[in-house]
Amino acid sequence: MIKAVIIDDERNSRDIIALMLEKYCPQITIADMASDCEDGINKIKKHRPELVFLDLEMPDGTGFDVLMGTLPDIPFEAVFVTAFEKKFLHVIRFSDVELILKPIDKQSLLQAVSLITERIAAGNNKERYQVLLENFNNSKHVSWKLLIPDTNGEAHTINILAIDYLEAQTENCFFRLSSGVLISAARPFRYYADLFTSLRFYQINNSQMVQLSNISHVNAATSKVVLKSGIVLDITERRQRDLITKMTHR
Amino acid sequence: MLLLYCYTAESFAITDRAPVDTLIADHTFAPVNMDLRPYINTLADNNGSLTIQQVTQSSFTHEEQLFHDYPKNNGRVNNCWLRLRVKNESDKALSCLLFAGWHDYMYWYVQPPGDTCQQLIQTGLMLDNGGVERWNHYAFNVSVPAGQSRTFYLHIINKSYNESALMPALFSAPAFAQFRDKQLDVYRKEAAVIQVLLGMLLVFFSISIINYIQLPDRSYIYFAAYILGLILFFALRLESKPYQLSFFHQWPMFKYYWDIPGLLFCFYPMYLLFGNTFLNLKERYPFMEQVFTWVAAIVGGLIIVCMYCIAQEQYHLPTIIYSYVYFGTLLPLLAVFLALARRSRHHPLVRFFLYGSVCLYLACLGSFLMHVRPLGLLSALGELAAPSLLLIGGVLLQAMFFLAGLSYRNKLVHHERTRTQELLIKQLNKNKELQHKLNEQLEELVKEQTTEILRKKQELEEQRKKQLETEYDKKLTEIELKAIRAQINPHFIFNCLNSIQLFVMQRDYEYAQKYLSDFSYLIRKTLDFSRRNFISLADEITYLTTYLGLEKMRFENRMEYQIIVDPAIATAELEIPAMLLQPYVENAVKHGMTNPKQPTGVLSIHFNLVASDMLECVIADNGIGIARSKSLRMLPNHHQSSGMEISQNRAELLNKMYNTEIHIEIIDRSAEDEADSGTIVKILIPQL
Repeated sequence: MIKAVIIDDERNSRDIIALMLEKYCPQITIADMASDCEDGINKIKKHRPELVFLDLEMPDGTGFDVLMGTLPDIPFEAVFVTAFEKKFLHVIRFSDVELILKPIDKQSLLQAVSLITERIAAGNNKERYQVLLENFNNSKHVSWKLLIPDTNGEAHTINILAIDYLEAQTENCFFRLSSGVLISAARPFRYYADLFTSLRFYQINNSQMVQLSNISHVNAATSKVVLKSGIVLDITERRQRDLITKMTHR
Repeated sequence: MLLLYCYTAESFAITDRAPVDTLIADHTFAPVNMDLRPYINTLADNNGSLTIQQVTQSSFTHEEQLFHDYPKNNGRVNNCWLRLRVKNESDKALSCLLFAGWHDYMYWYVQPPGDTCQQLIQTGLMLDNGGVERWNHYAFNVSVPAGQSRTFYLHIINKSYNESALMPALFSAPAFAQFRDKQLDVYRKEAAVIQVLLGMLLVFFSISIINYIQLPDRSYIYFAAYILGLILFFALRLESKPYQLSFFHQWPMFKYYWDIPGLLFCFYPMYLLFGNTFLNLKERYPFMEQVFTWVAAIVGGLIIVCMYCIAQEQYHLPTIIYSYVYFGTLLPLLAVFLALARRSRHHPLVRFFLYGSVCLYLACLGSFLMHVRPLGLLSALGELAAPSLLLIGGVLLQAMFFLAGLSYRNKLVHHERTRTQELLIKQLNKNKELQHKLNEQLEELVKEQTTEILRKKQELEEQRKKQLETEYDKKLTEIELKAIRAQINPHFIFNCLNSIQLFVMQRDYEYAQKYLSDFSYLIRKTLDFSRRNFISLADEITYLTTYLGLEKMRFENRMEYQIIVDPAIATAELEIPAMLLQPYVENAVKHGMTNPKQPTGVLSIHFNLVASDMLECVIADNGIGIARSKSLRMLPNHHQSSGMEISQNRAELLNKMYNTEIHIEIIDRSAEDEADSGTIVKILIPQL
């Protein structure tokens, strides 16, 4: 049995999470519910749950305040639940913490719970939340860290700046770091491509995206991008022009 | 060396004659260069402490080794007394002249028998500075009255290592005049040679100084110093040529100070330093440069030592030092010359240097050998640079070679300079051409670009006009678009949907139905209103009621609201800007929900007519107040404040567009009454 606490400022939201968990996830028992951050921190300390469903925005703070108030003393897995949040989407995705959107979809709830169950069984959750809070407190987007779950179920924490490029590989995404290390991520290329568009990355063709700061030069004659690490990648002609203007206007 | 010694030993053989105590002069006595050696008794005063009284009482001996008719190296101070007794047996008074050579200090005494000793004259090279006249003081009067006898004492002190010929001779007055004339001729010839040499050296000196002023090359300075040293040296040598006009008789010590040190100075430091800079050894032969510099420095030190010895009256020490240096450097110098000669193929200047040096050294050696026979080995050393014709020739040749070398060097420098100048001129011409070309290109470019800029400016002007025209429209649509986005708060939408989901799951279908229809109404109205600028007050009231109803449902009755409309208002006819109030109402809901002191949020909206054409809308809540809310920066106030900002912008835009005066005032309730809390938003909407 997994002990869980629900923290949300709206009663309707708490009720529906509780209802759905009761109905679809019998392995989870709800220990308690809270309606704001302060109450939530107290309830977590009291019950020491393994799982917390956490609203992002509450009258007296955010879900991050709850995490900062309890981690790392109480090791629990968190699932963020929010109606609409653009602001914190990146920071959550970068650390690969689960996020469920309201109104709650049965499929995504089940997926999140099964992932969390696996993680609790594996017993290593600290790194994920460290990365989350570190990024949250770091206003410099480009120097954020990225937690990549690989195809073997292991998690890799890397610095964004260390990425040379990423490449689509059927259902997965393949990361090449400047150090030469290769990571095969368990998530699709599109997932990361969307995540990186706001950073200094550029998609040079249908399946590859490079970090601008790691580009050595663009060979316009052969339509190749040469990275500082010596790797040569293809670039489509239309994107090449765009990339050159982007690089010269930085 | 041994051979040399054997060769010189002969010259010291002295013929012994029987000594005679007293010179007897009869009436035929007319001496002509009469050798007085047999009649003179001597006394050596090695300590230099004897007085004339002590001398008269001392016993004299007969020692002929004291006398020599060539300069001789004594190696010590020679302080001696000569005694001559003369008895005049004739009936005439005897008046002769005694000449014993030129010495540093000479004192002439006479003693009548049984009387005290009396000094007649004192003279000497170091004592007498009477100019040319002084040369006449070296013959001493020997006057003896008829039938009497006299004892004469001559006290001679020579401090220098090299003693001039010491050979006492007696002359009658006419004979001495003849002797003097003969001597004068000899010395005049010698002096003339030196004077010619001095003249030439002065010319060389002037040339090198002038050259240095024209072209500051340090080798000229060394050469000039070398020549100046030689000039001084030979000028001082002139000093010891009797009967000649000399320059330095006021400072007789000077010739000692610049004898051996002068030789060292000229032939070592200056010579080597000149070689260094002249041959540019620093770059061409760094090892040799080091050797030259070190030897020059060491000899410089030795010069100081020599000077010190002279100051201490140890005149012979410098000679010894010089002889060691001379012989010690002969072979190394030969080696250096050979080493330099091997390089001369690559360096024409070395030839000049070598020829000059070899000339001087050969001349030196020749002069030395010439003097070895008459003077002996040690004495000849002092004559290494004695102004013999051979040596003078050597010095002049060397100076000429060096000067020629310097000229050749100038020529090389000149060549180099001309070549670089030619190159420079070529480069400059090229640069000029290039500049010209560039200028032409630039002019063309400027022309092109000017027309381009003018064209672009025109284009820009047109564009700006167009832009200005569209800007107003654009701004309007932009703000309206923003308004739509702001007013349909996605958070609100999805939370509503979430609540509906809950009711469905709880099977509370009636509630779900009502919630869903209210929500649909709100969305529809929002889409509808966002396209319009004005709506009726009645529509606005229905919209707000529905909105507040939904919010109340979300917050489980933790919120109360009321909308009070002045019954005098014709709500269906009165028009207000669409979606102007909504952001303020939404904000009031949020505020009302976040006051920990108030369990229930109370919200009220009043519509009043404050004038016949002025609608007042007051939105009040009992939340924490706008001031605290802003200071807390609580989430999600970001959204609300942007919504409020857009409303403010819209109000301003509407005021501009329709020339009205919509006025929005936000009051914090705690500002009026401490116990009270919350926000009041007053909106004044004039009727068109």
